[in-house]
Parts: sequence; C-alpha cells; structure tokens
Amino acid sequence: MTCHRVQRQLAEYAVGGLRARARARVEEHVRECAECRMELAALVRTGMLVDALSPEDAPAGTWAAVHSDIAARKRVPVGQRLRWAWGMAAGAAALVALVVAAFMLWPLGLGEPQLVVAAEADQEMQATIEGHLSAVWAAPLSDEVAVGLRLAALEDDG
Amino acid sequence: MRGRVRLVAAALVLAAGVALAESSAWEAVWQSETAAALTSMVGRARTKAVQDGRERSATAVVQASAGKVRFDYEARGHRWSVIDDGGRLIQLDPRARTAVVLPRPSLAVDRALAERNYVARDAGEAVVAGRPTRIVEVAPRGKGPAARRLWLDRETSLPLKQERYNAEGRLTSATEYGEVEFGAPVPAETFAVPEGWTKVEPGGEGPRLGVQELSARMGFSVRVPRYVPEGYVLLGGYVQEWGRWGMRPAELRYTDGLRVLSVYERPRGEGPPGPGMGPGRGGRHRDRGGPGGRHRDDAGRGRRGRGDRGGRRGGRPGPPPQGGRRGPGFGPPGGEVMTLVDRGTEKALRYFGPELVVVVVGDVAADELVRVAKSVE
Repeated sequence: MTCHRVQRQLAEYAVGGLRARARARVEEHVRECAECRMELAALVRTGMLVDALSPEDAPAGTWAAVHSDIAARKRVPVGQRLRWAWGMAAGAAALVALVVAAFMLWPLGLGEPQLVVAAEADQEMQATIEGHLSAVWAAPLSDEVAVGLRLAALEDDG
Repeated sequence: MRGRVRLVAAALVLAAGVALAESSAWEAVWQSETAAALTSMVGRARTKAVQDGRERSATAVVQASAGKVRFDYEARGHRWSVIDDGGRLIQLDPRARTAVVLPRPSLAVDRALAERNYVARDAGEAVVAGRPTRIVEVAPRGKGPAARRLWLDRETSLPLKQERYNAEGRLTSATEYGEVEFGAPVPAETFAVPEGWTKVEPGGEGPRLGVQELSARMGFSVRVPRYVPEGYVLLGGYVQEWGRWGMRPAELRYTDGLRVLSVYERPRGEGPPGPGMGPGRGGRHRDRGGPGGRHRDDAGRGRRGRGDRGGRRGGRPGPPPQGGRRGPGFGPPGGEVMTLVDRGTEKALRYFGPELVVVVVGDVAADELVRVAKSVE
C-alpha cells in the first residue's frame, strides 16, 4: 500500500471505522512507515485535544447583545429575514449532523486514549513495578519469601 | 412477645459471637506481624509465584532474628539472597559478589484501615511442617474472594503457610515451610554484606513527604489523583531515586490496609535516559551504559542497542520492544497514549497526559487503574 492511499484512510482508521481487512493493511503499513505512523499519532492526539476542551462561559453581556440583535432583526425587511431563516436552518442541520456523528463515533472511542496491552514491560514499566514490589514487601501480611522470588523473576524478564 | 425477645436475644448473641470471632482472627493476624520481630528461627520453605501466566518456584532457607530476616533462594541452579535488616533491603548476587543496598520502604501498619476494608475469619486448622496451625482467611469486607489465607503457628503466630490472591481472586503466590526450627541461633553476620563484596547503592526512596514538599523536591507540580479505588487512602509522597534505571519519579503511595497502590509521576518530555544508566546489579546488570543501553523516546518505546539484555544473558538480543497485543478497541501501534502490563500479580498502567506521564501500579482492576491515571490531570 502506498503512503498516499494509507493517509487517505488514516482518519477513518483512527476512529475505528475501517473494516478488518483494510485495518490490517493500514496497520501493516504503519508498522513499517514512520511518516504514516506520525501522521496517525497526530490524528489521535488531535482527537484527544478536542475531547479535552472544556466548555467556556460566555463573556458578560453576551445575552444582552443577543436580545438587542433579535430586536433589531425584527425590524429588517422580509427578504432579509428569509435569508436569515435559511442560514439558521442550515446551521441547525449542520449542528444536528454533528450531534449524530458524535453519537455514532462515541462508542468507537473518538478522543479516548487507546489502551495497548503490552506483552512485556518496557524499561519504565519494569522499574515502576519493581519499585512497587519494594513497597509491597513492607506491606502488612506480605509474603516476603514470594516477593523476593518475584523480584528475581523481574530481573529474569528484564 | 416472649418468642420475639428470644429471637432478638439470639440474634444479638450470634452477632456478638461473630464480632468476637472476627476480633480474635484479626488479633491472630496482627500477632503474626509482630511475631517475626520477636522470634529467632531457621526454616526451609517452598515458594511459588504465578506471574505472566507462568509459575515460578524456588526453595528458600529463611533465617530470622531480632527483627532481621534473610532469605537464601535457589531455583534452577541459580542462587540469590535477600536480607531485610529492618532499615535496608539488601539483594545479594553471589555470582557477581555484589550487594545492592536499598532503603527499606516504610509502610506503617494501619490496623483500623485494614479492619475497615477487610474481614478476617477462622477457616479451620491444619498441620504444617509438623506443627499445628490455625487457618485465617482475610477477604475484602462485603465483597470479593479472599485476599490472603494464612496458616498461623499455634505457638508463635508465625505464618507457616500463606496464599495470596489477586483482586480477581486468582492465586498469585504461595509459600509453605517444610521444616522450621524456632529458637535456633542465627549469627549476626548473617544479616551483613559479606566482606570483599561490591556494594551498590542505587538510591531508592526518600523520606515520606507531603504533596507540596514532594513537588518542591521534584521541581514540578505533583498532582493528586481525583479518584482512587474505594477504601484506599494516601500514605504519603516519596522521591524515588532509581539510579540503576536512570529514573527519578515522584510516587504517591496509597493503601487500603493490605494492598498498595503506587502512582508514579514525571513531567512529559523527561523520559528515562538512553545509554549510561548508572549503577546496576552486578552480574544482573542490564544497562551498563555504552552500546548495551536502550534508547528511549518520551513514549517509553525502546530501540534496543546491540547487546541489550546483556549481563548474565551475554548480550543475547531480546524480543522486539512493546510486542503487545492490542487491547479492546483500536488505535495506532506503539501505544503512545496508554499501556497496560498485566503481570497477573499486579497491573501497571502508563498514561501520557498533557503535562505528566503517570504510571499506576497496583492489584486492582484495569479499568480502575485507567480511572486513577486519567484523574491525575
């Protein structure tokens, strides 16, 4: 698969929208191609950032401005009002589409950090598990004989 | 009316009996905690631990005296020892004649907390190592399977056999003495580093600190998780100096009275260094610097140098980094965002937050680890 073709599918892949075969092809390519991997990581992070945005309060006086705007609009000619109505309808339709899309994508985990179950601990994970085991050693009802064995097993695995 | 009174009285007597029995079981459990410090003994135990779906086992000669204890292990022709002298943990590697000396972590026993979260009950009697024992089972209060089963020596209260179960109720380790001699003399040098051995002190944990002081010592703002599993309380914060790993994370340590939950934090962008990781463990060194070191990016992914996993394995190249199976869902390979390692005994989860990298380690369900990690930022 070429980078061009993969990159066209990355966004869909990032939200879990691809079928199994296409997904496998993308994964195979991404495993080898650093550029596409970075592209994919960027897509996922963008999703996370959007998800992390919190709602902001409107600045003071916004509602007063809206009210006066509505009052002013009541005075505009019929043609202009119609154009407004069409604009509003289009905006509402877009909003509905957005909400529907959000509902459809939500179960797929858009913006949620994905979880990778690693078969082996890397160095940082290994170090923290070892540090944690030291604390477990000192915990009440600790089976120190077994913890000593497990510390040695960590060494083996490392 | 009289019948009802009798019924209520019987219920009260039953409740009092249950409470007394539980109190008696707890008393035996706590006696076992202090018995080791008062008893001099030599014994031979068989221990096994189920980790990553594999069972590992070893025999251990245990010598204890005046609150100090030494374990001499043997498994598949390999020998090593661990000494707990009350203030330090000393790991001895006889092949490299090296002793790694670490400060012993502090974890005060909070009986009230343990008794609030767990229930202790008698589960029968048995003979272990030729001695009569009382079996006590400790289980989460009101839910879940047993967390520990202890066979406590009737005379000394020392556990002659114990089984440990993880949060899902699976047996993760078991130790049983085959022979034991109480009152046996144990020479003081048993608990010392043998003369002529190389002593390595790679750091370990500092004193217990409050969160503000921990932040000041670490040079970044340590964040307290907004969520921890029910029953866990904060024990304190610790600066962890892991010289052999080239790491210095902050740890917030929680406990529910028995289990420990560790939350490690480091600023994003300060990943573990590559080659030259500082002192290691004698013959067990993996990262001795130079080409054997592992280069690492912020996501913790490793690019192995030639001879990585050196030391006693003689530089045999290891398996590819992060050879993981995908968890539920989907996402990019490499696991830059969240990585879970489930050892069976405990789980570790690393979360790359916007500012901090958080690793949560404990014997709790994976979704609980995720909740804790995500509540840090």
